[in-house]
Amino acid sequence: MRIPLLLIPALALVIPALALAQSPRTADGHPDFTGTYDITTLTPVLRPASLGDRKALTEDEAKAMAKAMADKMTEANKATDPNRTAPPKGGDGSEGAAGNVGGYNGVWVDYGDQAFKLEGKFRTSIVVDPPNGRMPPFTPEAIKKAMSRGGRDRPNRGDAWWIKENITPGPYDDPELRPMSERCLMAFGQSATTPSLPNYFYNNLKQMVQTKDTVIILNEMIHDARVVRMNAKHDPPEIRRWMGDAVGHWEGEVLVVDSTNFNDQAALYGADRNLHVIEKFSRIDAKTLLYQFTIDDPTVWTKSWGGEMPWAATDGRIFEYACHEGNYSFGNVLRGARLLEAEAMKSMTK
Amino acid sequence: MKKTLIITGATIALLATGVSKLYAHHAFGAEFDPNLPILLKGPVVKVEWINPHTWIHVEVTKKDGTKEVWMVEGGTPNSLLRRGLKRDTLKPGQIVIVDGYQAKDRSTRANGRDVTLPDGQKFFLGSSGTGAPYDKDQGK
Repeated sequence: MRIPLLLIPALALVIPALALAQSPRTADGHPDFTGTYDITTLTPVLRPASLGDRKALTEDEAKAMAKAMADKMTEANKATDPNRTAPPKGGDGSEGAAGNVGGYNGVWVDYGDQAFKLEGKFRTSIVVDPPNGRMPPFTPEAIKKAMSRGGRDRPNRGDAWWIKENITPGPYDDPELRPMSERCLMAFGQSATTPSLPNYFYNNLKQMVQTKDTVIILNEMIHDARVVRMNAKHDPPEIRRWMGDAVGHWEGEVLVVDSTNFNDQAALYGADRNLHVIEKFSRIDAKTLLYQFTIDDPTVWTKSWGGEMPWAATDGRIFEYACHEGNYSFGNVLRGARLLEAEAMKSMTK
Repeated sequence: MKKTLIITGATIALLATGVSKLYAHHAFGAEFDPNLPILLKGPVVKVEWINPHTWIHVEVTKKDGTKEVWMVEGGTPNSLLRRGLKRDTLKPGQIVIVDGYQAKDRSTRANGRDVTLPDGQKFFLGSSGTGAPYDKDQGK
């Protein structure tokens, strides 16, 4: 069948609309978002300052970004010298989480392979409000609080420096003094909490299960599920939750989720118990959701801010991230600290 | 104009490649001792494909001829499972070479900074993509 040329633009509009109309719906007529979504992307949450108010990458820039990552993975996948020796004594100089001992090789990671597209353009950042794609300034109160928390982390030299410098409490004195990531709690910052954002490392799947009364949003990283109570009122203010108290309602085709009542350890970029997040889920097409969010925390940021990204349906399965059960590392960390402390005490009493 | 383009190009490359150091389940610096580098070579005894980190058990023959089993810490298996990892991807008996650092508690545990087969090849290839259908056509 030949289609008249004049009809092609009209069909281009009609076909996606038809596909959207045929997207699954629940028995009570709302869009059904039940499914698994992969939000892996190279588009960062915050835009590099050098890109200013530029919301989109050019096609060439997006290609360059994808190529840089592909090249990095090609390099990571290369064979290494089978006759290599042990790494250097004193550490390999790696910084951050790798802490002078390195982490593990590229086998394990899944950074994503390109920026995401919205409205036909590759995006420079997930955050679009304010227009520079960056977090608004912190309040003086938040800066003061952050400064008071500083000073506990030191480069890893493999010794109990806190004993030698008589620092009390030492960073390993109590399991609850350890970072939340080591304790399998709300780690990975913005990917394990509210809103649900990518972590740029691995395990970026999200699963939604929708019923008439509740919507469940499961974060693969770090295994916690948020239960959104539909058409409900928020808990009283004295009840506080790690991921906030989420209540939802429908505004036409859009699922709106309002989260408050966070505890003081909200994982999102230094947010505190006054965090208020509004998320909106809607369909772009049969396989893609549009995820939008607004963040407000008057004691932490001077203005509200927000962003958007696609959530793409995937056939990939989420495997349970049973972090506590297999967390051998935490025992190793605490036992190691005790041994280093004993050695430090011994050397000081000589 | 040219200068702007170069800066932007550098920024884009940074966006794509500067993310690797940000996260792991926990800081390896808290668990392993930079003063105790190790190089292990031997057959795999078993693999625990568990979260938050995989543990590969490797039998090592010491200079005096006695054997001991080391536990080598890797990453999460979730992404690998989606890329086709099988229970027997690393079979018992498979010789591996591991370089890393020993745990601060002096037990026979180490991080698998680089785990390879005897010829230096990786035992599984890392991927920047997920294979999800949206990778090519999302959000058009």
